[in-house]
Amino acid sequence: MLRNRRKLLHRATPALLLAPGLLLFLVVIVFSALRTFWISLHVWDGFGDMAWAGLANYVELWGDPQFWVSLRNNVIWLVVFLLAPPLGLAIALLVNQKIRSMRLAKSLFFMPLVLSTVTVGVIFVWFYDPTYGLLALIFDAFGGTAPAVLSSDTWVTLAVVFAALWPQVAFCMVLFLAGLNNLDEEIIGAGRVDNARGWQMLRHVVLPQLRQVAFIAVAISMIGALRSFDIIAVMTSGGPFGSSTNLAYQMYEESLFSYRFGYGAALATVLFAIMMVFIVWYLIRLLRDERGA
Amino acid sequence: MSDVKLTSVQKHYAGFHALKDIELSIEPGEFVVMVGPSGCGKSTLLKSIAGLEEISSGSIEIAGRDVTREEPGDRGIAMVFQSYALYPHMTVAENMGFGLKIMKRPKAEIDEAVRRAAEILRITDYLDKKPAQLSGGQRQRVAIGRAITRRPHVFLFDEPLSNLDAALRTQMRVELATLHKRLGATMIYVTHDQVEAMTMADRIVVLRAGRIEQVGAPLELYRNPVNHFVASFLGAPRMNFVEGHVIALGAGATLEVPGLPPVTIPALQPDHGLTVGDAVTLGIRPEHLKTNPGGTVVIAEATIRLAEQLGRETVLYADAGALRTTGSDTGTDNVTLLLDEGAPPADGSTIRFGFDPAYAYLFRSDGRTVSAPKSRT
Repeated sequence: MLRNRRKLLHRATPALLLAPGLLLFLVVIVFSALRTFWISLHVWDGFGDMAWAGLANYVELWGDPQFWVSLRNNVIWLVVFLLAPPLGLAIALLVNQKIRSMRLAKSLFFMPLVLSTVTVGVIFVWFYDPTYGLLALIFDAFGGTAPAVLSSDTWVTLAVVFAALWPQVAFCMVLFLAGLNNLDEEIIGAGRVDNARGWQMLRHVVLPQLRQVAFIAVAISMIGALRSFDIIAVMTSGGPFGSSTNLAYQMYEESLFSYRFGYGAALATVLFAIMMVFIVWYLIRLLRDERGA
Repeated sequence: MSDVKLTSVQKHYAGFHALKDIELSIEPGEFVVMVGPSGCGKSTLLKSIAGLEEISSGSIEIAGRDVTREEPGDRGIAMVFQSYALYPHMTVAENMGFGLKIMKRPKAEIDEAVRRAAEILRITDYLDKKPAQLSGGQRQRVAIGRAITRRPHVFLFDEPLSNLDAALRTQMRVELATLHKRLGATMIYVTHDQVEAMTMADRIVVLRAGRIEQVGAPLELYRNPVNHFVASFLGAPRMNFVEGHVIALGAGATLEVPGLPPVTIPALQPDHGLTVGDAVTLGIRPEHLKTNPGGTVVIAEATIRLAEQLGRETVLYADAGALRTTGSDTGTDNVTLLLDEGAPPADGSTIRFGFDPAYAYLFRSDGRTVSAPKSRT
């Protein structure tokens, strides 16, 4: 009897340990996602009754110029954020050199990671200020006039993305630094004996050992680009005239300011579908590597 | 002309003197084994020869060329690492051909060199596999194959067998020795295993605390160690050491040793520098202690503590009362005897044993050997 109970407990242990995380995941992620999709099929102001609308929200989305601007901005975020892993790697390689006072350089590069996104946003708003900002001073020094990047619908998204890139590069740098510290010293030695130097050493001996880290850096940068929201809110509130809005920010505006929860949910569903592509790619890679190892 | 020549090589780490005035000359085709306890600097010395470590002063010549400041890839060496250090993302063939590929050799030449090395090491079946798919022994072969394709002046081995299991280690030891004969190349091999040193080396270099203690052929070192350290390092089971002091000096020296009648060592080195009353250490190899002390001179009694029967021979550990050994393998003050085959005495029984002082070693208190049974086997 006792033995059976112990056996049962032994079998149940993994399930019990998984339960809290699983429960949280079901409520916060799965339930919310399904509920969002359900809401997206309705017209709802967030207070009263929901009215069934079928795919009307998605049809409206297709014809909404603001949606296409948001989608285009998300693509810009994705493309520019792809710079974060290589830049992070380059800086990591630089500060990994055994040079005096490199520790100071390392902590300076690390700094944006400890700042909140709001702070980063505010700092860059000052930086871009066309009258008193650092950018204006730089242009002045060369006798030019600084463009008001945050009021220009052509430049505003790029200006915001570059602000967001700063902490992202720092994050990638930290990942790569950890990877560089874990390099197999004997394999590096073998590479030196094989006469691999500079670029060849990097390409054939060092980078292959950083593949795992690079993969994580790319995946996290992609997902970070898609879910970007806070820095837009701080720097431009999506303006001017919605030109720096992306899907996440548009969803927030439609839902919470225009009380169009159904329409906001449709935007959220589209964003979720795009993100799903990256998440599935990430998971497949992760599972494959785990099985390979 | 020697193949590798080290001249007053010094190496300092932050506050630590890792290599102290190393002088060594290695002839072409020689198999030199550098041996010593961990931390003695043997790996540092090998990495300095490879160029993976920079030396603080001194010079290193390989094939008559001063390579002290050259990169590892320019020194004409190849190295086999303890962890094998294969490139994990490359196939076996790519691993072996990588050095030649970096040197921009034509593909046909690379393929030929890889094929040749693979045939020597019998790994032609694995050429398309990745290192992760291979066993430890196969990986070691690939690492050696990678060294062979480079056609170096000197092969460097850094404890290459220490990650293998015992059976495979013996097999690879034999294969490496065969490979050395076949290639006729100069090889420098680092190990902490004195069996590997004794069996493979043309010459052994014994290191301690960053200094070369002695260089010589294995049997030369075994028979004629320059000091207490070398005597204790080579030979398994280890030599028995007992403390005593000199009570009379003539052509030889007569010692008083607790637990033994007076022992007279027949011959001393001319410059022995001993005076009556000096503390000395007497060393006797386990195989020179006999249990049926017929013609032997010095006789003692002991109680058997443990008998290890190895088939061909038996190792006895015995408590000889006042006769206490120091620095033994076992960490006890028991006496170690190595007997030929035959049923050993039962545990707890008392044996009489003895030795011929002509087979004994005598060390001064500073460790230097002042008497060794040179001319005998």
